[in-house]
Amino acid sequence: MLEFDTVVKTFGDLAALDGCTFAARPGRLTGFLGPNGAGKTTAMRAVFGLVELDSGAVRWRGAPISGAERARFGYMPEERGLYPRMRVRDQLIYLGRLCGRTSKEVSRTVDAWLERLGLADRTSDSLDTLSHGNQQRVQLIAALVNEPELVVLDEPFSGLDPLAVAAMSELLVELSGAGATVLFSSHQLDLVEHLCEDVVIIDNGRVVLAGDLEDLRAAVPQRFVNIRYRGEAPDWCRLPCVQVVEASDGEVRLCIDRNADLAPVLAAARATGDLISFSYQPPTLSELFRHAVAP
Amino acid sequence: MNGVRQIWLVAVREMRERGRSRAFRISLAIMILVVIGMIIVPALIDTSGGSKDVGLAGTVPGDLSQTIVDQGTAVGTTTRVQHFDTLAAGEDAVRNGDIDVLVVDAQRLEWRRREAPQLRAIVTGAIQLVAVRERAAAAGISPDELLALVAPVPVENVELGSVPGRSLDDETAAIVMIALLLIAISTYGNLVLAGVVEEKASRVVEVLLVRMPARSLLAGKVLGIGLLGLGQFVVTALAALVAIRAVDTFDLPAVRGAVLAWVVLWFVLGYALYASVYGALGSLASRSEDAQSVAGPATVVLIAAYFASFTTVGSPESLPARLLSYFPATAPMAMPSRIAMGATTWWEPLLAIALTLAAIAGLVQLGGRVYTRAILHSGPTLRLWDVWRGGTSRRSGAVGGSPTVPGG
Repeated sequence: MLEFDTVVKTFGDLAALDGCTFAARPGRLTGFLGPNGAGKTTAMRAVFGLVELDSGAVRWRGAPISGAERARFGYMPEERGLYPRMRVRDQLIYLGRLCGRTSKEVSRTVDAWLERLGLADRTSDSLDTLSHGNQQRVQLIAALVNEPELVVLDEPFSGLDPLAVAAMSELLVELSGAGATVLFSSHQLDLVEHLCEDVVIIDNGRVVLAGDLEDLRAAVPQRFVNIRYRGEAPDWCRLPCVQVVEASDGEVRLCIDRNADLAPVLAAARATGDLISFSYQPPTLSELFRHAVAP
Repeated sequence: MNGVRQIWLVAVREMRERGRSRAFRISLAIMILVVIGMIIVPALIDTSGGSKDVGLAGTVPGDLSQTIVDQGTAVGTTTRVQHFDTLAAGEDAVRNGDIDVLVVDAQRLEWRRREAPQLRAIVTGAIQLVAVRERAAAAGISPDELLALVAPVPVENVELGSVPGRSLDDETAAIVMIALLLIAISTYGNLVLAGVVEEKASRVVEVLLVRMPARSLLAGKVLGIGLLGLGQFVVTALAALVAIRAVDTFDLPAVRGAVLAWVVLWFVLGYALYASVYGALGSLASRSEDAQSVAGPATVVLIAAYFASFTTVGSPESLPARLLSYFPATAPMAMPSRIAMGATTWWEPLLAIALTLAAIAGLVQLGGRVYTRAILHSGPTLRLWDVWRGGTSRRSGAVGGSPTVPGG
């Protein structure tokens, strides 16, 4: 378990992390969300001791993280980087050996990953001769070279084509399925919703929402109702305690306070003429997100 | 994870990757060729020590030929004489460089370009001697008496130089050593600088610092490039030594193994001193283009130290020379020069080594601190002062992380 305990980090006047508290659990995929500048990258760097914290602590299995543990963790930084003119395999083995493993152990892991990601024939090419997509794959192997128990990936999906996104998703699910703690940041909410059991949403350096995604959806103080109909649309906004989330011809999604009476809504829907369907739908992650970080 | 093992892994990577690069191999070849060239080419051009060819044309007194050879022998110059039937043939031989001078009618010397003073002295001396003999014979003095009277006395030339026991060539050698040390320290110092900036610019440093402390990374880089440089330096020095032996034109009592060992030691110390500064300054730049400008101060100090060290060649015993050879920034070039000139007492190199080691220890601490704080900062080039001030107060800004990319 990776824990952030009231972590504070300021840069000058700017509080990048302002009492940030959350946890990522083993065997689960945790999506780390937040608007640009919310503090995601700083938080991820804090796991690896790359920023000096002003106060608070980051813990792994209940204890402060040691240098040796850190070295074994997998990390894909936001700004990708490897030695451009070093050979792919040499580079990965070097990175693995820096963490204290023997050349033989590292070679086995590296070769398996190169094989799996389709780079087996490029092992002795220098990195800068590879395509952008293949360089991303090498960067991913660099993060996984030590068979880490904790994997932290900063925007692993950015810049990937749809096929690569699918491959990366499968890999993350597999890693967490094998028992690793996986924390990754992303702006692709649909993807996170689809993949993650847990989410953490951060805004202005504070965690505004965190936990099991299903629990979070159930705990929302509103109900979301999807209505399909045929005929003239009523003025939904005039109904009490109702907000229109999305409206198109013949279809509307409403957000209604949990305690509000649904009868007037149903009546209004019937009044349109033909009511085709009227159903409760849990909030999407994107709705949760917008509520959580609303200005 | 063992820090020493990490430092060694970093060093091995530096040596392997750089040793493998074509640029390194070419630069090694060029360096060896330049050094050998510097030694061999002057020897080929400078033929003063070799034999001289003198041509005779027109009226030639009977024993002039032998007298020229004898006069040459007296001053240690082998002289060969040949006769030309016509003036034109003799002048052609001068123009072709077959002979060094043509003596016409025992009265005129013809050179291709400028006269060679020593050869001129030999030939004119011989002409005078022959004339004296002829006049003596005419005056009734017997040839034997005359020979005893005018037999040439061998004269020896000695170049004293500035320091007893050291030749002018030793001074040249000291100057060459200072130049080699400057080239080596600045070449490998700049490799450290470029390596640090490259790691920062390519962002690989973030992947590395997850695995090891910044100080280990810097130390490994300085060590690896240093060992590579030491190898290259030793190979070049050996090539120079072989070339000197081969052409055998230098009189170098001072360039013995012991002096070369001192030079190698001072290369190591000078490199360690300047490389830690170059490494720390390199961490301030975010792009390769900014590398030279952030390293400017170190380069200026290094060049100033180079010129200052020249004063130790001319007057190695003077007070300024002694101070320069103790001061850590100048000692790596000034001290070996004084050692080569034989101007040091036993404790002086030891004092200089102690001071330089202390300075290296201090600079590694300071440099490591700057490097650790600046290396993860992206965005515009940092100023040393900002990093330093930031270092003394943790909450004051541009430190450790990066104010320009706090989010994500």
